[in-house]
Amino acid sequence: MNNILEARGLSKKVVLGKDNELHILKNIDLDVVSGEFVSVMGPSGSGKSTLLYNISGMDRLTSGSVKLNNVEIGGLKEEKLADIRLNNMGFIFQDINLLKNLSLLDNVMFPALLAKNADKSGISQKAMKLMEITGIEKLADNHITQASGGQLQRAGICRALINDPDIIFGDEPTGALDSKSASEILSILADINKKGTTVMLVTHDVKVAAKSERILYMLDGNIVAQKKMCKYDEQQHDIKEREESVMKWLVENGI
Amino acid sequence: MFWKIVKNDFSRKKVITTAVFVFVTMAVILSASAINIIANLTQSISELKDRAVPADIAQMHAGKYDQTEIDNFTNQHQEHIAMQETMILLNIEGIDIHFGQNETMAGTVQDISFVVQNKKFDFLLDLNNEKLDVKEGEIAVPIYFMVKHDLNIGDRLTVDLEGNQAEYVISDYVRDYEMNASIASSKRFVVNQSDFDKILESKSGELEYIIEFKLKENGNAQAVLSAYIEAGLPSNGPSVGAMAFMLFNAMSDVAIAMIIILISILLIIISAYCIKLTFLATMDEDLREIGVMKAMGISRNDIKKVYLTKYRAMSIIAGVMGYIISFPVANLFSGNMKLYLSSNLTGRLQYGLTLIAPLVVYLMIVMYCKKVLGSIDKISAVEALRADIMEKGKNHKYNFPLLKNRFLSTNTYMGFRDVWKRFKLYRLLLLIFTVIMFIVILPLNVFNTMNSPDFSTYMGIGKSDMRIDLRKSETISEDFLKLQEDLRNDSEIEKSAAYITCYYQAKNPEGSWDYISIETGDFSIFQLNYLEGRAPVGEGEISLSFANASPDGLDKKLGDEVIVKVDGVEKTLKVTGIYQDITNGGKTAKAHTSLGLNEDAILWYIVYIDVAPGVDIKSRMDFYQSAYASAQVNDIQEYTRQTLGNLIDQMGLVVIAGMAIALIIATLITALFLKMLLSKDMSQIAIMRSMGLTSKNIKQQYMAGMLMILTLGIILGVLASRYLGELLVSLVMSTMGAARIQFVDIAWQTWLLCPLALFTVVGFTVSVCCNMSVKEDISVVLRG
Repeated sequence: MNNILEARGLSKKVVLGKDNELHILKNIDLDVVSGEFVSVMGPSGSGKSTLLYNISGMDRLTSGSVKLNNVEIGGLKEEKLADIRLNNMGFIFQDINLLKNLSLLDNVMFPALLAKNADKSGISQKAMKLMEITGIEKLADNHITQASGGQLQRAGICRALINDPDIIFGDEPTGALDSKSASEILSILADINKKGTTVMLVTHDVKVAAKSERILYMLDGNIVAQKKMCKYDEQQHDIKEREESVMKWLVENGI
Repeated sequence: MFWKIVKNDFSRKKVITTAVFVFVTMAVILSASAINIIANLTQSISELKDRAVPADIAQMHAGKYDQTEIDNFTNQHQEHIAMQETMILLNIEGIDIHFGQNETMAGTVQDISFVVQNKKFDFLLDLNNEKLDVKEGEIAVPIYFMVKHDLNIGDRLTVDLEGNQAEYVISDYVRDYEMNASIASSKRFVVNQSDFDKILESKSGELEYIIEFKLKENGNAQAVLSAYIEAGLPSNGPSVGAMAFMLFNAMSDVAIAMIIILISILLIIISAYCIKLTFLATMDEDLREIGVMKAMGISRNDIKKVYLTKYRAMSIIAGVMGYIISFPVANLFSGNMKLYLSSNLTGRLQYGLTLIAPLVVYLMIVMYCKKVLGSIDKISAVEALRADIMEKGKNHKYNFPLLKNRFLSTNTYMGFRDVWKRFKLYRLLLLIFTVIMFIVILPLNVFNTMNSPDFSTYMGIGKSDMRIDLRKSETISEDFLKLQEDLRNDSEIEKSAAYITCYYQAKNPEGSWDYISIETGDFSIFQLNYLEGRAPVGEGEISLSFANASPDGLDKKLGDEVIVKVDGVEKTLKVTGIYQDITNGGKTAKAHTSLGLNEDAILWYIVYIDVAPGVDIKSRMDFYQSAYASAQVNDIQEYTRQTLGNLIDQMGLVVIAGMAIALIIATLITALFLKMLLSKDMSQIAIMRSMGLTSKNIKQQYMAGMLMILTLGIILGVLASRYLGELLVSLVMSTMGAARIQFVDIAWQTWLLCPLALFTVVGFTVSVCCNMSVKEDISVVLRG
């Protein structure tokens, strides 16, 4: 299997003030295999989200290298990096982060209209199809103030998928949702992953981690442990068992 | 403690605070300068008036007169009249006055008169406002000519007399309260009595008289004037009153002060807008802090005090700076005043009065801040910590979906729809851009209108290539006929029309007789634009100037009848048209040749001429000037230019100043607005960047929105200056006799040059401001 992502010697420092520097990521090496479903866990402040933002090219690394599909993104110019974000990756946020003045449908279509990979009718059909899959097709023309948090997060997922990305990053995508919505969103992500899209999520939630096939545990800017599991299949696996196994692993590692 | 917070606030928001500070300071500078100019003007005119003791009534007269009759009249009306003096004017042609290297004063539209200093009043002064005392062999030259011909004290002036020449040394400038202004059509040169007598002896020049009256404190000018005319005393020239002298002196400086006041009012509005913008931008940023302060239990008033202290401090510093800077700025605009009215503008009045400007600006800013800060009352602690106060009530129907966009790029479309969606935010910017365009276009239109050949329309004359004015002389009637004959035989002349202006008596609404000047001739040759009706073309028809037709004049409407005395015979004329005229106090009339002349009250002869196509106007002008030495030959544009003189020059200065101020404001406002917008949109920009938009894409969105607002502002500004500006200018000009000014609009300046300058400045500012905002890590914003 090919690695979709290879990170070596990843380091991130932030200057907070005079003589006050924070070392958030400390020399991290990481590979993600194409089609994999990876979760990153760890306490607040351990560097989980920073890892995600740095390997996705949203933030600039202090040192180290990140290759996405064998392309080094560390030194890329802004335009090229933006192009990769537009065409090769999708990002789902805890705070959802939809554009305020657009309807749900327009929010979903916007990246595709910029990428111009299809004509307008093709884009709108694809957006409607994604919204149908995620169950929000009836809200297409609704303003974002006219939808619930769960519905908005589904729109966020549709937006992340509209340009058929190779990898989807999620920064606690279920963190702000009620348990029912969270479970539905997770199922959608699992389905996407089953179809071949790589998924990498940051989470605090054992239920989320239990659906992934690899869990990384971070502490103080380092990956201190990882657990591999088989790909989750709703038909074959008992989710409760997987959740207990994750819990056990966490306890065994004294985390 | 508060000072510390205020100081921190200053250093945290340097750009925005500096911009607001600059606007407030500029507003103080300009309003203080305008007040300064008016204070100086009032003081120097009154000082000049005290020294010059101008006449309250000045009656011009050419021809015979009897001083004893005037003395008797004066004695009979001692309840009104304090003093009387008759000044003899010796009219000398410009072509007969030589200076420098074979230069002459030919071509001037001014009547040049040589006079001696008056004894009782209407004194002619030097630049120190002292009474001129010209010695033998010396001459004092009016400021108008000193400036126009760049003459200096000590230069030599030679005057051609019949048979010989007289040579004088220029000993002084003449500051002439009554005839300083270029719009007053005569200028007085002062010589010594013995030199004057020599010219008289040589029988050179034409004699004219100003019969002047100085009234007692409560003397009634109107009563004296009516009694004077009823007594049949010499009056075949215009009569001018104290008010007109004052207006002549003040006009150009008042016009400048008014425009500066207008600009400073606009600047105060802009400053208020900037403060609101600052509040909007910083409220978003500070909302959290306000919430925390409220949660900590700090009272509303104390929170307000923090904000208010900042603007109080800013207004005080801006006020002091503006007050100090306003003096050199006012000085810059006072060159004209210093020369014509008073060389010493150091009166105390200006220091006191100018204080009004910073005080008013301070009060306005503080009051406005209090109003804006009222919104803090409405925010609860929890709301302040959570809510985004700008984003309320978003339950409208969804407009402008992205799929509707067929022609524009997605980013341009996003920029345009953002303007639509948040028009409440953008509308203030639209107002500012409109105002900016107004500041640029209004003075430009006024300048172009004054400079245009069509301006002659407002001077009661049809559009023609050139005009020839014949002066009164022994041979004037023969010259006039010969000139018309010559013109008819000149193949290079396409058409010409001759007009004679005389004084006639016309019955006023009260039933008594007023003197009005009526121009007679064929008015179908050079068409004048009439406000109402048409030119008089047949017997029994008359057209009146706007001022003459108004209630202050004869109070006539189209179709009304006017009774006019021609050579003692009463004739009834029907008003066929009303036209605009700012010359001769605005009170003129036109009638067909068939009206007949008042032979003993002929004022002047004028011929209007159009040259044949392809013929050089200048060559024809030179030809007729040399053939008729005593005539004044002018092209119409030059005629209006000389008459309006320094008003046009000063307007040119205002055009440039307006443009510069507009561009500075446009840059600062655009930067300020974008700063506010970008800080408001920080999270939305980060979201777009996370989706894969480049800084160029984002810049394109803001550029599209800002340029769309600018385009709308330009269109509205041009329309506002064309309609509202025209209305304003017409309102001012109606006091001078022109009721409906139609601006001359030079399309390439209005629609190309000015918009291009604004687009360049605004586009560049947007580009620079957007560049600064997209370099940091995206997560910094998205993760709060």
